[in-house]
Amino acid sequence: MKKRIFFILLVFITIFAFRFRSEPIFVAPKNWPKSSYDFKKNPLTPNKILLGRALFYDPILSKNNTISCASCHSQYTAFTHVDHALSHGIGDSIGMRNSLALMNLAWHTNFMWDGSVNHLDMQALAPINHPSEMGENIKNVVAKLQHSHLYPALFYQAFNDSVINGERLLKSISQFMLTLISSNSKYDSVMRGKGKFTSQEERGYLLFKKNCNTCHTEPLFTNLQFENNGLIVDPFLKDYGRFRVSQNPQDSFKFKVPTLRNIEFSYPYMHDGRFKKISEVLNHYVSQKSKVSTLAKELSEPFVLSSNEKVDLTAFLLTLTDKHFLFNPSYSYPREVFFGRANGK
Amino acid sequence: MLLGIFISCRLVMKVKFLFILLLLCSLGLQAQNKVLPVLLSPVFGNQKLNVGTDWYHIARADSIQIQVLKFYVSKLRLLDKGKVVWQEENSFHLVDVENSTSLKWNLLIPPTITFSQISFELGIDSITNVSGALGGDLDPTKGMYWTWQNGYINFKLEGLASSSSANKNEFQFHLGGYQYPFLACKTIILDQINEDGFVIEIDLKKVLVQADLNKENHIMSPSIEAVKWSHWVQKSFSIIPK
Repeated sequence: MKKRIFFILLVFITIFAFRFRSEPIFVAPKNWPKSSYDFKKNPLTPNKILLGRALFYDPILSKNNTISCASCHSQYTAFTHVDHALSHGIGDSIGMRNSLALMNLAWHTNFMWDGSVNHLDMQALAPINHPSEMGENIKNVVAKLQHSHLYPALFYQAFNDSVINGERLLKSISQFMLTLISSNSKYDSVMRGKGKFTSQEERGYLLFKKNCNTCHTEPLFTNLQFENNGLIVDPFLKDYGRFRVSQNPQDSFKFKVPTLRNIEFSYPYMHDGRFKKISEVLNHYVSQKSKVSTLAKELSEPFVLSSNEKVDLTAFLLTLTDKHFLFNPSYSYPREVFFGRANGK
Repeated sequence: MLLGIFISCRLVMKVKFLFILLLLCSLGLQAQNKVLPVLLSPVFGNQKLNVGTDWYHIARADSIQIQVLKFYVSKLRLLDKGKVVWQEENSFHLVDVENSTSLKWNLLIPPTITFSQISFELGIDSITNVSGALGGDLDPTKGMYWTWQNGYINFKLEGLASSSSANKNEFQFHLGGYQYPFLACKTIILDQINEDGFVIEIDLKKVLVQADLNKENHIMSPSIEAVKWSHWVQKSFSIIPK
């Protein structure tokens, strides 16, 4: 009898231990919608995340080993770049669009300003291959990683063998990107009942809900859709947005609605980085738009905002800054991976 | 009472024994799956296809050399009178004319089924196209994946043609597209296959004889033209009669 009780106890302890062990790494913030990424096909593990983080910061992904993902997606600027309207790549080449800020990607089903990337796993392929970004191809990247001193061991730690292939490479980068969750701004603490807006921020929040929330929908601050916000086409870039992908005239001039989280640090704004300041963005929305058939219906009439109201709205937008995200050491350059071993640490 | 328990115990034992026997038999049967050899034979008209060396001619006195022929075959199925009797699991094959092992499939099928047709997709279905990073023949390192606008290239045909108006007389046809209205994945059903093995022929002459390489010599994205070409390629498969 005692033996049986002992056995049952052992079973319970084992089950409990396994439950404890399988505690998910990815935890969606409370009251957020369900995420879209299928974690069953790529379950997060600390070693795979670390591998992905190393790859994200390593210029080995580019043709001449000079440009990494972080070159255009720097943590301190909400994983986008500043100072440049358009992304730039190997040999100082200039791309066609402003780099997007990276955060809360598990909720997205398509990527890039025009949605040309259909899955987070495949996102990295686009800049790796683009002649004005990394100018490399994934087959070469895999070969370079196989011959490096660092990566066979990192892949071994992550996958229990040191096989390096395209699937593992891409899934590892996804692992790191999936951990980039921004949900600790002042706005978030107010929503959780742990903080309070100033009266100016509160007025700005009401203006936001009245004017902006349809497209920049809470809590992600994007409806994940493609919209035409009435920007006049740049005659040099001639960028028609989603039309390029779908060839559907109804998609002309439509671009993915970007998140407003960390907007304070993610300037310049818009797909071609034409606005450097939030005030320029607001001025765009209060001005008359040309009547193009694909213009978002919410923008058919310009917003009516007094200069005081613009200041209030800006004050609210600044509550979306998430310092915890911008300075989280687990997202930063993995010094321990690149230098720890060389120093014998 | 005791006798009853004894008999029922014996019965349970017998049933158990029979069950194990049946299980072993079924396992044994499964292990005896037979091999169905299927060969792919790329040709140009009545000539064998040799890439990068041989020149072929079609009606308009055009000289054509094939340099790349790669395509995906997926969802392999065997049918009997239109009814699916077997389908391959995880069925994705990258066929590359320069890789002879990719031109021979040894399908493991149950020995008991009868069939007379094979069906497969020429290309990759829409769901697989949006399923993220995949391995094996679907690994993006295989050079059959578009990076600037995601999606698999179902069929890749490259070469030279004297009639091509492109630089160096090249032509490049990368056919793909998984979204309406540019769905390029095509189903192919071939009849009168032999149950002991058969050869599937793909005749590029049937494709290129329909094309005007002077006007149209490259396709690099999902488009109505890619759908048209995929339809031509679909019609170029046949079974070589015994």
